[in-house]
Amino acid sequence: MAEITVSEPFPIFQVAHRYLLYDVNTVTYARRTHNITGVLIGGLPQAPQQNVFSGIPLELMPEEARLLVEKGVSYIVDDVAAHRKNFLAHGLSAEEKKAFMRSMQRQGVDAAKAQQKKAVEKKKDALKKAEKKGASTENWNDVPDDMFAGPRKSKAARAAEKKAKETAQTDGQKDGAAEDETLFGAPANPVTEWSAGELDPAAQQLHEELGESLKITPTTSYPPIRSEPPPPGEALPLPEVPSSYPVFKHMHENGYFLAPGLRFGCQYMAYPGDPLRFHSHFLCNGMDWDEEFDLLRLVGGGRLGTGVKKGYLIGGEEKKEGAYQESHVRAFCIEWGGM
Amino acid sequence: MADADEDAIPRTGPDAGETDLSDETQDFRFLASITGEEVKIPKRGEKDFEPHETALQSNILAASRAAMHGALSYPRIHTPKKYTLAIYHPETNMAYAEDPKGPLFKSMGKVYPPKDDPLGVREANVNRLWLLPEEILYLLERGTVDVRWPAEGDEEDGLGAPMSLQGAYAAFIGMEDGTGGVLTFERYSVYAGLRRAGYMVHRAPSWDGPGNAPGGECLPPLPGTSWSLGLLSSRLRSSFWRKAGASSNDQISGPLAAPSCYRSYAEIYRRLALVPFYDPALRSPDGPDPTDPNFRITYHVYKPGSPLYKKSDPGPPDFRIAVVNARETCVPALAQLGALLDTTPYVPPREDMQLYQKLRHGYKSIILAIVDQGVTSYLRLADSGIGREKLFDRVFKPGGGKRGGGNRGGGKRKGR
Repeated sequence: MAEITVSEPFPIFQVAHRYLLYDVNTVTYARRTHNITGVLIGGLPQAPQQNVFSGIPLELMPEEARLLVEKGVSYIVDDVAAHRKNFLAHGLSAEEKKAFMRSMQRQGVDAAKAQQKKAVEKKKDALKKAEKKGASTENWNDVPDDMFAGPRKSKAARAAEKKAKETAQTDGQKDGAAEDETLFGAPANPVTEWSAGELDPAAQQLHEELGESLKITPTTSYPPIRSEPPPPGEALPLPEVPSSYPVFKHMHENGYFLAPGLRFGCQYMAYPGDPLRFHSHFLCNGMDWDEEFDLLRLVGGGRLGTGVKKGYLIGGEEKKEGAYQESHVRAFCIEWGGM
Repeated sequence: MADADEDAIPRTGPDAGETDLSDETQDFRFLASITGEEVKIPKRGEKDFEPHETALQSNILAASRAAMHGALSYPRIHTPKKYTLAIYHPETNMAYAEDPKGPLFKSMGKVYPPKDDPLGVREANVNRLWLLPEEILYLLERGTVDVRWPAEGDEEDGLGAPMSLQGAYAAFIGMEDGTGGVLTFERYSVYAGLRRAGYMVHRAPSWDGPGNAPGGECLPPLPGTSWSLGLLSSRLRSSFWRKAGASSNDQISGPLAAPSCYRSYAEIYRRLALVPFYDPALRSPDGPDPTDPNFRITYHVYKPGSPLYKKSDPGPPDFRIAVVNARETCVPALAQLGALLDTTPYVPPREDMQLYQKLRHGYKSIILAIVDQGVTSYLRLADSGIGREKLFDRVFKPGGGKRGGGNRGGGKRKGR
């Protein structure tokens, strides 16, 4: 696969205090280049009745969104305001709208063509399979084969009959006229071709001329809306993050992929590489440097982590100047011994 | 520490079949096995421990990412045969369809009476189905409906621009507060997840307010009526030991178990039961507490395939679900939880259930859907009557150990 890139900074869309990505290229790019996975929260139109695989949109934790903005590779867009302005308040000019509708129509025509092609191929495949099956099975009592072969045979037979009739007619009317034979031969051929499961070329041409266009629901609204990085000073405020952000950032800087971890009993799950490929190593929890907490939390967390073969990691940011490395964040890993 | 053989752990434990595949990031290369003709559930946990910079590993990862990219770029194309058009209505933040096609509409949408139609009086021959924000967003997302922005008057075909998936999220969730709606990302995630799993989901009356006051079905029956309900034996017993219990005058002045002739240990234990306990089968003297807005029943959920189900009158739900935002709320306090449970119906465990089943079943229960940044966990909380299940009153099967503490009989079931 060719490496997919998008131009930076790319937009992150804010809806109801959530940070979302809708463009599939951006999703792939952020994952590959910035180790940001987010959580896919949508459904897949090709497999709508399951919950194992999810689809676009991709929800980013506020931590992830903030990290991307702080790195300068993306900016936040108020998506609700953008849609309100462009679709409900005549924000799009007539030309922009027309161009958008035209491009939708073009996509629709392409989709229609692709679908037709697929249907033809499917039909061919099915026929091939049926033929193979019919040739190999000698048991003609087999019901489905019989049912399938029946009408086809009769159709072919009908075509042959028709042809025979027609030639008989020609023979009777214009005896020995060689030119006319080809004239009459022509209409018989499409009938047999049609029954063999190929698309009628005339019908196909008609479709092309009419420009049959399927309706499409686009994934993103950009285009027709255009988005540009805000000029300095007018950017939306940085996403609000919980106090565990320093640990999140620290782990991320050290190459870990982080995912929300509530259902595993922690704040973040830390993966050594892309979660598509790797098991997680740590259950992370962020704390304030001077925060007091129960020893039981360490025991519970340690037992939980060890029980699922992961390390229980806590960390915080030291407020002292130049205390430890540059990021001032220290992390500790707790494992239960003797289990 | 974890090791690479994590996959090799034999999964023969009691929960081998209950592994939730949606728990983890799945390898999209296996999606084809779902969408293809043969339905196979992808294998779980074929992952590595850590990157080791081999070409094999990076190639597999690249293939997974390519498969993911491909799966995510699948377009939503509407075929003319199943085409359903819906138009966004910004004033109500809903959408309407006049010619809905497909089985999904049997459990979605609402046709208003002609007078109440939000577009003004509806003519008799128009069948206008109104879809709630979560319904239309779900339908758009699964590629069933083509939603249009309202026309602005200069279009060729009289229809507005097609609403994109992004536009739908911005409108149906982002513009909710403009119309007083309360659909949030958490609520939508839960709705769509349950729908994808095949359940039918409706808003509960307490969707955006305290809802109706809990009715009679939420209260335990009064002692008088329970006689006729076949709870005779347990009631009789409880009223009996109450009399013989703490209030007895002998016990106040003398020993708890006065010297006398006891024919079983149970009689002595009954006399020792002094500590008052919460009994879920009794009505509380004061009415139900007001519920906390963060902990209210959000959805009524119905199992698919019920012959009694009707969209306009779905009847009592199979499950009640309260959606909770993990980042903005804490674990509910007893008062919050109690008020929430007060609004659920009273369903006592069957008398013939085993002890631990009874405790698990409880007298009232609620399912919490806790959403943390798009990841949903379901928890079932039940109001179990531990104080009502007297261990000394249990009847052991004949043939079990006579002393109760042996290897068989009661001791066996005592717990894990």
